[in-house]
Amino acid sequence: MSELVPPPLEAAERQNRFVSENLRRIFVQIYRIVGNIADAQDLTQEAFIKALQRQEQLKDDLKAAHWLSRIATNTAIDFLRRHGRAGHCEVDLQTESREESPEELLLRSEHREYLEDGLRLLTARERAALILRDVEGCSAEEVAQQLDCSKATVRSHIANARIKLRRYMAGRRR
Amino acid sequence: MRKHPSEANLALFAGGELNRWTRWSVERHVAICDGCRRDISDFSALRADSAVLAELPEAAWSPMAAEMKANIRLGLEAGECVSPHAVSRMIFSPRALAACVSLAALLVASVFLERPAPRGTDIRTSEAVLETSGSGIHFREGDQGMVLLNQHAHEVNDLATGRAMQQSYVDSETGMVTINNVYYVE
Repeated sequence: MSELVPPPLEAAERQNRFVSENLRRIFVQIYRIVGNIADAQDLTQEAFIKALQRQEQLKDDLKAAHWLSRIATNTAIDFLRRHGRAGHCEVDLQTESREESPEELLLRSEHREYLEDGLRLLTARERAALILRDVEGCSAEEVAQQLDCSKATVRSHIANARIKLRRYMAGRRR
Repeated sequence: MRKHPSEANLALFAGGELNRWTRWSVERHVAICDGCRRDISDFSALRADSAVLAELPEAAWSPMAAEMKANIRLGLEAGECVSPHAVSRMIFSPRALAACVSLAALLVASVFLERPAPRGTDIRTSEAVLETSGSGIHFREGDQGMVLLNQHAHEVNDLATGRAMQQSYVDSETGMVTINNVYYVE
């Protein structure tokens, strides 16, 4: 039986659209896990290349996005295993211009820096679970799928992460 | 007052990750415990604050995104050049390689063991010469001589043993194998 193969141009367009639609989300996800912009850039590229080399998985957009998140999480966690813990040391991000006063912008920026510092206290899996659940808004089941572990383990990672982060933030306020 | 729920359960309660029974149990406790209610409120605030981590600046993002897209395209093109299909065409699996090496060794051994005896074998005494060639076995003594011809012969093998000369060949027309033995007796 012959299989319909899309013409190269159409396939390339589909790939470009897939990258454009998911790039920012995946970059943020990886960045929050590894805590370093340069590494996050490299790992984002790696995750997309891995995903696009298996194009048969990309037929369903929703599943493809989920599958890509899983690849991204695993790529970031593997990276941390190889290179040790994350270090949020290259944060040089400018804030988006919204209807906020300079004081609000400053507070917001400080708060983000506190949180990023606090993330360093978490293990790679705790950090990934927290980002996927509280930042990405994934359900506990989805986080379990992405981390390839049970729901109970995910709950444990999430609870530990929140407790450590809360203690850290409380310590900063004192 | 009832026993306080664990800190982990309070953290999970704030995110709605507890199962129905545990959630109900925590809810009942929280209704009468200000401390635990405050803990849950802290965890909930932390969750809400975490949303700030999803932000990335537009100004820094655009060139970074363009660079990443270009690198992804480049990576995919490079990947096509060294795709597993292309590599698998060039490289044998270890089993196939071992089989080929064994086959080659067997072939070399069989050729070595079955190799034809060298042509032109001869037996020389002071008076006579007994030798073979592609056309047959030659015998000469002084000025006289004779040849035992092997017409239409191919796959000719010669063997000299003591004072005897053996030549075997296959007749190319009939396929029959003929073995001639000539003995020299003084």
